[in-house]
Amino acid sequence: MAQLPNLDNASINLGAYRDHARKELVDALDSMRGKKVLVLDPKLSGPLALIVQIALLKEHGVENLYHLTPEPIHTDCKNVMYLVRPRPGLMKLIAGHVRHDNREKLQRQYAVYFMPRKTIACEKVLEDAGIFADVTLGEFPLDLLPFDEDVLSLELDAAYKELLVDGDRSCLYDVAKALWRLQAVFGTIPNVKGKGRAASHVADLMARMRREQPLPQIPPEIDTMVLIDRQVDMITPMCSQLTYEGLLDEFIHISNGSVEVDPTVMGQAANPKKIKIPLNSTDKLYRELRDLNFGVVGNILRQKATAMREDYKDLPQNQSVSQLKDFVKRLNILPEMTRHTNLAQHLTTFTTNPAFLSRLNIEQSMLEVRPEAPSEYIEEMIDKQEPLPSVLRLLCLLSLTCGGLPRKQFDFLRREILQSYGFEYTFTLNNLEKAGLLRRQDGRNTYPAVRRALKLVVEGQDDSNPTDISYTFSGYAPLSIRLIQQALQDRWKSMDELLRSLPGPHFEKTQALDADGTPVEHEAQSISVDRPDGQRSLVLVVFLGGVTSAEISALRFLSGQENSKHEFLAATTKLVTGTSLLQTLIDDDWRLRNNK
Amino acid sequence: MAISNSAEWNELYNRFYCKLEVYTMCWPSVDISKHVIACAKFGGPIATVRDSGKLLLLAAESTRPKVNIYSASGLALASFPWDKGKIVRMGWTDSEVLMCILEGGDIYQYSIHGTEAAKPFSLWHQVSEQVVEDCCFWGHSVVIRSSTHQLYMIPDLRDPSTVQLASPGLEDPPHSMAIIEPQFTVSGNLEVLLAVGTSVVVVDEETAQDQKLELGPLTRMAVSPNGNFLACFTFDGKLRVLSTDFTKNLSEVDLHTDTPPAQLVWCGTDSVLLYWAEEGELVMVGPYGDTIRYSYDEPLVLVPECDGVRLLSNSLMEILQRVPDSVVSIFGVGSTDPAALLFEAMEHFEKRSAKADENIRAIGPADLPAAVDACIDAAGHEFDVPQQKALLRAAAYGRAFCAKFPRDRFQEVCKVLRVLNAVRHYETGVPLTLQQFRLLTAPVLIARLVNANRHLLALEVSDWLGLSKEAVLRHWACAKIETSGDVAEEAILETIVSKLRTSATMSYAQIADTAHKMGRTQLAAMLLDYEPKAAEQVPLLIRMGEDERALAKAVDSGDTDLVYLAIFHLQKHVPEKELFRMIQAKPLARDLFVSWTRQNDPDALKKYFFTTGNPAAAAEVLVKESYQAALERSGRGSALTTPRIKILEQAIELYSQNKEYAFHAKMADEAAKLLKAQQELEISTRQDVFVDSSVSDSIRTCIAMGNHKAAQKLRVDFKVPDKRFYWLKIKALAHARDWDALDKFARERKPPVSYAAFAEACIEQGVNSEAIKYIGKITDLQARAEAFARIGMVNEAAEAATQAKDGELLNRLRSTFTSNTSAAAIIDTFRDKLSLPG
Repeated sequence: MAQLPNLDNASINLGAYRDHARKELVDALDSMRGKKVLVLDPKLSGPLALIVQIALLKEHGVENLYHLTPEPIHTDCKNVMYLVRPRPGLMKLIAGHVRHDNREKLQRQYAVYFMPRKTIACEKVLEDAGIFADVTLGEFPLDLLPFDEDVLSLELDAAYKELLVDGDRSCLYDVAKALWRLQAVFGTIPNVKGKGRAASHVADLMARMRREQPLPQIPPEIDTMVLIDRQVDMITPMCSQLTYEGLLDEFIHISNGSVEVDPTVMGQAANPKKIKIPLNSTDKLYRELRDLNFGVVGNILRQKATAMREDYKDLPQNQSVSQLKDFVKRLNILPEMTRHTNLAQHLTTFTTNPAFLSRLNIEQSMLEVRPEAPSEYIEEMIDKQEPLPSVLRLLCLLSLTCGGLPRKQFDFLRREILQSYGFEYTFTLNNLEKAGLLRRQDGRNTYPAVRRALKLVVEGQDDSNPTDISYTFSGYAPLSIRLIQQALQDRWKSMDELLRSLPGPHFEKTQALDADGTPVEHEAQSISVDRPDGQRSLVLVVFLGGVTSAEISALRFLSGQENSKHEFLAATTKLVTGTSLLQTLIDDDWRLRNNK
Repeated sequence: MAISNSAEWNELYNRFYCKLEVYTMCWPSVDISKHVIACAKFGGPIATVRDSGKLLLLAAESTRPKVNIYSASGLALASFPWDKGKIVRMGWTDSEVLMCILEGGDIYQYSIHGTEAAKPFSLWHQVSEQVVEDCCFWGHSVVIRSSTHQLYMIPDLRDPSTVQLASPGLEDPPHSMAIIEPQFTVSGNLEVLLAVGTSVVVVDEETAQDQKLELGPLTRMAVSPNGNFLACFTFDGKLRVLSTDFTKNLSEVDLHTDTPPAQLVWCGTDSVLLYWAEEGELVMVGPYGDTIRYSYDEPLVLVPECDGVRLLSNSLMEILQRVPDSVVSIFGVGSTDPAALLFEAMEHFEKRSAKADENIRAIGPADLPAAVDACIDAAGHEFDVPQQKALLRAAAYGRAFCAKFPRDRFQEVCKVLRVLNAVRHYETGVPLTLQQFRLLTAPVLIARLVNANRHLLALEVSDWLGLSKEAVLRHWACAKIETSGDVAEEAILETIVSKLRTSATMSYAQIADTAHKMGRTQLAAMLLDYEPKAAEQVPLLIRMGEDERALAKAVDSGDTDLVYLAIFHLQKHVPEKELFRMIQAKPLARDLFVSWTRQNDPDALKKYFFTTGNPAAAAEVLVKESYQAALERSGRGSALTTPRIKILEQAIELYSQNKEYAFHAKMADEAAKLLKAQQELEISTRQDVFVDSSVSDSIRTCIAMGNHKAAQKLRVDFKVPDKRFYWLKIKALAHARDWDALDKFARERKPPVSYAAFAEACIEQGVNSEAIKYIGKITDLQARAEAFARIGMVNEAAEAATQAKDGELLNRLRSTFTSNTSAAAIIDTFRDKLSLPG
């Protein structure tokens, strides 16, 4: 069931943005004449499904689709087009294919398209493999994929790991280029704020690109851009998300805007083939439920069902056509009702599990820095050999909230992990240390001060009628979103010292042109975009290294507030959960290379 | 001579054609009949070389053949001696590069300045017995017919490669050959038409299809400029026009001669020109068989353009084209068209005659805008400047009486006319018509002017039409450097920068590259500093050998791709030590190098860490290698553990050099110890299930095998904490369903873990009856309640929860059992108890 997200209600014209991407893909396909097969980087098929449907590929000569694996392609087609991320490992696979075909004397034409750009490293692999002359190379400059009317993602899986562990800033170049392109369409964003090292790199790159290739001068549609380096707030993704969408992602993994579940979950006959359910705002009911605390979702569904039953009962015998039409319209929501009742029911099996509840308790005590034995809890998880990502997530949260672990405990837990899961996880632990997620205690713990100043832990919230973003984690307000709230109240300056205690520099600038028309950046003086009265300003928040759906929900909550002056658009390198983020650190390169 | 002179028009059925003399050729007596001639389209240059097949009076020219290049007006542009062999044909590409196709299959390419534009390319890579017989050019491509009747295509001469088309399977040479350019075919591929027998064979890359016609032999063929029609001259003197899909026979005219014409070309899309050289006769045939005959006492070369034909003779360059409708409407004999009235009105007005007003009234306000438009259009087509002015004056006069007339239409034509008049001047010699200019586009025209080194004109045209001047300035700067002789570098820099500074986004890299190629390295470096784009700077710095600066600029740019470019270059060209030193100082370069080598070249990475004094990092690479070895072997087995242990031992030694890495050293040591122990276990148990499992896994495996002694040994050797050991043993025993042993284990001593662990292990195996034994022993009431709840013992669960006074837990239990009404009722009773204290 391929269904593109509906973008008609977006605050900027993302539909046109998607159309443009589609056109570029078609151009790429057409560059190879005649019938062809398309070999896709497995990581790209999901993202591509967000912009095109298979029928369009067929119209442009694609006879068959394959995933790029070490297996050679078996086809009678003479033209083979690869569409890949610029990763050297994938080049080796392509080289394998070409050499295989040459041995078999299959005369084929090869084209390799890179998304979003061709890199020298990839060219080098092809050159070293001796097949550079056999392939034509091209670029498919698609970077930001519209996931929904207010969510854009580059879907760079390993961005966080590359930045923090490898020191490879390639993804930041891609981000800066993507933001440049976005501004070429929607105007130069006047206010730019940022926190964290990656944020400052992106701002520098953007300034440079603006000078190298000036942006077209069109009236800006977006007022402010806030760049947030994930490193600044790793606490939030380590916590369990408690919004409807967040829990769906945590337990059944939302991938490219949809989930796959067993047919039994949806009340259908058992079948090994999973059902794919798109989750975006095209589904009106989902739009209503996704950002709510899961605790209230059941009630709302129940209320709606009851209301519908009442409606049915009250249906007058001799109703007019317009009344009937009205009623039928309400019935239209029925499939969505069934869908979400089933999904919510399925989620309950996870959320009522005592293990999950005690985990929430432990998380809460860590966030409040209560000294109640969280480390023993973790120790027991290791003893029981529970899934490693789940263990590490809690361990990292402990380390982050305690400002590191005391040496003895640090060494003990690490040793327990290595003995339980295998010594090869040394690399994983090293990666966590390099990323600063797990460390030995030294110096002052800054978390308590941050928690107090930003009111991260909020007690006595009514999750069914929230007044604060802390409802997303039932009592914890995501640090990243708190920073954004502060930034928009123009109070970053007032909390300079506090910001200094979080990793990386912070800045507030305006992008402008000087008298000669040369692009320049000034120290911040907030500029507002001309808007009709009553229209709110549009803020683009860019999460460098990933964002969780609960954080996006928190942003939506903020724009949904009655007195809100802002509307938000979220962009990121990847939509993540704490677990998927940690998985990139666990899947070290040598493991990836061999376990495909 | 003016198009508007209707006395010079010739009528062909219902339309008029006129022949316009544009230039008197200023070349010194060239006899085009004795030369191979190539004229570029869109009024481009002319190349000539003596036709070695034709006799020549010795006195007329030197015997040594020369290729001469002239402008369309006959001004000499370049000349170079020719000694490379027999030229079959010459042609021009769309970017005005001259292609010389030699009999032997070699292709030479020259710029209009006579310099080699590309390396010679050979059609057949090895020596071949075939020779080139004929060829057709289009775009940047050429298709060649060989003496063995095979067809070879070069799709793009800028990057030449040969593609052989399907074999037409001929034994005798075809009577004639023509092509349908790819943009006009359904398939999007080139189609070659060969006249064979009485029919035509259509050849493309895949197939050769006989169209089974009975018209021929066709001794001449020509495809119309829009690709829709094929004109062919048959053996019996008829001119036939077919549609190019061969489904329609559009016209047939008998020309009463069986001598095939020397040339057959289309004039626009609705008439065809045939030229017989011997007779000096040029015949134009219209769609209804009407003809116009011209006779010439000079040899002719016909150059088809999109809207007409240029006629090149020894002394003249003429244009033969259809008179545009607007011109006919104004100047047609006895025309009473509103446009004609308007033009007349203007003439009256200038003579201060009141008839002007009469004419305007006669046109009426409804027809006036169209009349103005016709005058503007006619002016655009006109070559004669006074006549252009007269027409524009008429338009301006008429416009004054129009309520609304688009301003830009008038301005646009004036602008374009200025450009056209400038380039038509014989010194520039580009006789473009308005229609050709629109098709060619202004940027291409500018590029052509630049290519001809007419920078000032190009710059003025760009400025005049409001186009970017950067490309022109850049080309000028490059040309300046190339011709600078021994002028001082600073002086050149000053000249160039003073002219180019006006443009903020100007790219200097190409100019610097030119300087570098001319051996002016210092100038190149100075110019490069002005380049705003790092992506342009870095590659050039590398070419200039400025390695370290290239790396620095790449790192500054933040573009990782450029950093890789610099690193890969350094890897190839500087000693390793030098490379390490350079990247060590630049964190981004260092990290990228490490990241790259970690995946692609671990040996280089180790070397780097050793050289730069980072033994711990090198140790990590080694540890990885030891696991790498594990993954590379097929299946589990112990044969390879010894070398792996050796690698680990090296790592341990490296880790030990730094106290900070004591933990890592210890872990590597344990890993090695584990491998040894596992290998021994595999030998003693004869089962290869141990290697590469964790300590915990190994213990569990031992217990599951009943080998408690081995499990105990592992526990002691690896100092496994009691708690963990208990968990492992409980799970292993439960998994083996050895309930007695589990029971015994629980009684061994007071376990360091909760009895919940025992209960949980039983429940996981689905044996609740065993679980109950342990649940009762759980001291923590909440845990006990939850355990009871898990096996569905509601009453006991609720009781325990009540004892714990945990209302929240009760609520939760209630929600777990919502579907079970009796259970819910039980919980409710307990809930009531709890809410009533005492």
